[in-house]
Amino acid sequence: MADGKITIDGREIPFDKGETIIKAAYKAGIDIPHYCWHPGLSAPANCRMCLVDVEPPPGRGKMMLDILEYDKELGDYVPAKKPKLQPACQMQCADGMVVHSDESEDVKRARAAVQELLLLNHPVDCPICDQAGECDLQDYWLEHQRTSKRMHQEPVHKPKGVVFGETIVYDGERCIMCTRCIRVSAEVAKDPVLDMRQRGNRNEIMVSQGRELDHDYSLMTEHVCPVGALTSNHFRFKARVWFLRTGRSVCQGCATGCNAYLDYDPRDNKPYRYRPRDNEEVNGYWMCDAGMLSYPEAYEGRLLHAHVGGDDATVPEAIDAAKRQLEGHAAGKTTVVLSAGHSLEDNFALAFVAKRFMGIDEVYVARRPDGDEDDILIHKDKNPNTAGVAKVCELLELGEPKSFEQLVAAIGDGAVDHAISLGSAIDCDEAEAKAALKGLKGYVAICTHEGVMSDAAQIALPACSWAEVRGTFINAKGIAQKTDAVLEKYGESFPGWQLAAALGRALGYKIDWRGRADLEQAMLEAGAPATPEASEEDTEAPAEGAES
Amino acid sequence: MSTTAPDLSENKPWTKRAVRYDEPAVIPRPKRTAGVQTYIPAWAKGTGITMKAFFVNFKERLLGQKRDPVLENYDGGLTTLEYPEEKRPYPERFRGLHRLTIRDDGSMRCVACLCCSTACPAQCIHIVPGEYPEGDARRGYEKYPTEFVIDELRCIFCGFCVEACPCDAIRMDTGMHPVPYDSREQFIYRRDLMMSFTDRDGERHSDNTRHEPGDPTHPGVTRKHDKH
Repeated sequence: MADGKITIDGREIPFDKGETIIKAAYKAGIDIPHYCWHPGLSAPANCRMCLVDVEPPPGRGKMMLDILEYDKELGDYVPAKKPKLQPACQMQCADGMVVHSDESEDVKRARAAVQELLLLNHPVDCPICDQAGECDLQDYWLEHQRTSKRMHQEPVHKPKGVVFGETIVYDGERCIMCTRCIRVSAEVAKDPVLDMRQRGNRNEIMVSQGRELDHDYSLMTEHVCPVGALTSNHFRFKARVWFLRTGRSVCQGCATGCNAYLDYDPRDNKPYRYRPRDNEEVNGYWMCDAGMLSYPEAYEGRLLHAHVGGDDATVPEAIDAAKRQLEGHAAGKTTVVLSAGHSLEDNFALAFVAKRFMGIDEVYVARRPDGDEDDILIHKDKNPNTAGVAKVCELLELGEPKSFEQLVAAIGDGAVDHAISLGSAIDCDEAEAKAALKGLKGYVAICTHEGVMSDAAQIALPACSWAEVRGTFINAKGIAQKTDAVLEKYGESFPGWQLAAALGRALGYKIDWRGRADLEQAMLEAGAPATPEASEEDTEAPAEGAES
Repeated sequence: MSTTAPDLSENKPWTKRAVRYDEPAVIPRPKRTAGVQTYIPAWAKGTGITMKAFFVNFKERLLGQKRDPVLENYDGGLTTLEYPEEKRPYPERFRGLHRLTIRDDGSMRCVACLCCSTACPAQCIHIVPGEYPEGDARRGYEKYPTEFVIDELRCIFCGFCVEACPCDAIRMDTGMHPVPYDSREQFIYRRDLMMSFTDRDGERHSDNTRHEPGDPTHPGVTRKHDKH
């Protein structure tokens, strides 16, 4: 509930108590130019880019400054007055406040002057700067300055290529001293390892003595850097941003399910980086380093072709072989393994086939082992969809999914001799699990990546990763989030749910999902939560192998 | 045949005035003199011209007096150019095959900014940027192309890459035009080949005035790179 209204450039916007002008404008979609302010950080008001003209309260005179202005006709400076401008990132909103931003000539001149000062010692090495194309200095120069440099002296030179840590390289000459990186370290990562030294144009960012920038959110310093001063080692020199396209995705690193943009080059269909996507409910504005660096999972170690008995096969051939292997074994000793690394759709399709047609009442779950956690973003459960698997089991009345260790034990006891599995990672001893899985009479694995399960499987089917197909992931807080189909499908892979449905059809079950909409309908009928789309694009066509 | 279009402009003022074609002029038939009608004198005259040219050319070739067709042909009518032994000089701004300019120390000027491949309308430039090795003065400061490939078959010689280059690292002043090769692979020009080319005068001049680390003109940095 808004606590009042302010007027910016004649437009009334609401604000909450204690909010600054820039935050209220940001929420209303009005852009006030800024460098040092970030919605997720404190405001030091040191860049002076967000200066606005605030009208005084009723009954009070406006504060004016005496200045000298150059008069072209007289050829001399004449006394003049200009209003005292306020930084929008520090000035709190008050009800009825009138703010002039883009409409005020004084504000425009102040912005142009600030921009010129910030560029005074800038090396203007945009061609070799990785920020070029998404640099605030470039954007604001075009928007607010548009004059060439007036200073012809040699600019101040500062250290370049300073290694801050394993992930970050610092270029002092490009830095505009907005201190966002310092504040990210101190406020988000709770590890104040960065600070600045010297003053004025000799100012530079430094790492604490004897330390490296090595906390779990070091890449966030690069992410918030409005210029190219901080560059990350993994993205540095790899691509130019104007070649990249982006899609909305969800980080697969842990159960937090941070919202992210996955930037990829459509020419080689390869992702180049993650960027955090703002979501106050889940990750705020941030992502951890492990998550930021998890984008290569989309192309590294992928299972690209189907295997039958260790030999390459096409997907329809593999489904045919699976049919021969599993036919007649539906009841009794056959089981299904769901995956906490696959989307809700994939898990639902396989569990649906198992429950409705094969009569399986208990399922197992394949998941990555737990890892480190902190109280910021990193969750100890390293699977993106553990809650999703639990949800599927609840909807289809499959009971609590059992762990992979229990499956290995069940195979050892002879209680299970045929299995269909989803997923690529397991949380128990790999050699033992591999030996047990190899002992199965029939084993069909639907995998995104090569690993124990694809190696041990008699029939391995290639599934699309989270980056290639739309999917829903339920995070630890129970929030269902959808991802876009960002990349083109790799190799011969198909969406996991299509493979599960094709397998069911091959076994003679009547599964009449012709497309994704039918699957979603089936999920809704079973009681799955309806989630808003990440985007409206629907590029799915039924798998060729699914028409049997 | 009359091609005169009817003039409708008077009664239809909104139409455009039609283009009028005059009757083509008839070239008058040459006078049929006895010399023309008997053929022989005309034949002898023509053969005479041919033989005269033959003997003159033969004599010039024999004595090495043949005029330079490139430089001296303008007043003497057409002169046969014996390509490819003889070539006309290309104009000064002719855009030929690309060359990559180099710095004084022999390293390449290109900083792998990909501006040329961005500007290229034919998308024929492929660059893989890389970082200078440990210990190099330019490490951490700028990048360089580990691979720089131009597909000369795709190239349309528009010169946008030269215009786009902020470092004067790519030029098209070699004066060479693309040569017909046997295979497509030979048209794929790679970095080292293009670095070996000179301009048409055999020089490696470049107009880049940047002060780079390592150059004596570079003002240097205020502190050592790796200490903080």
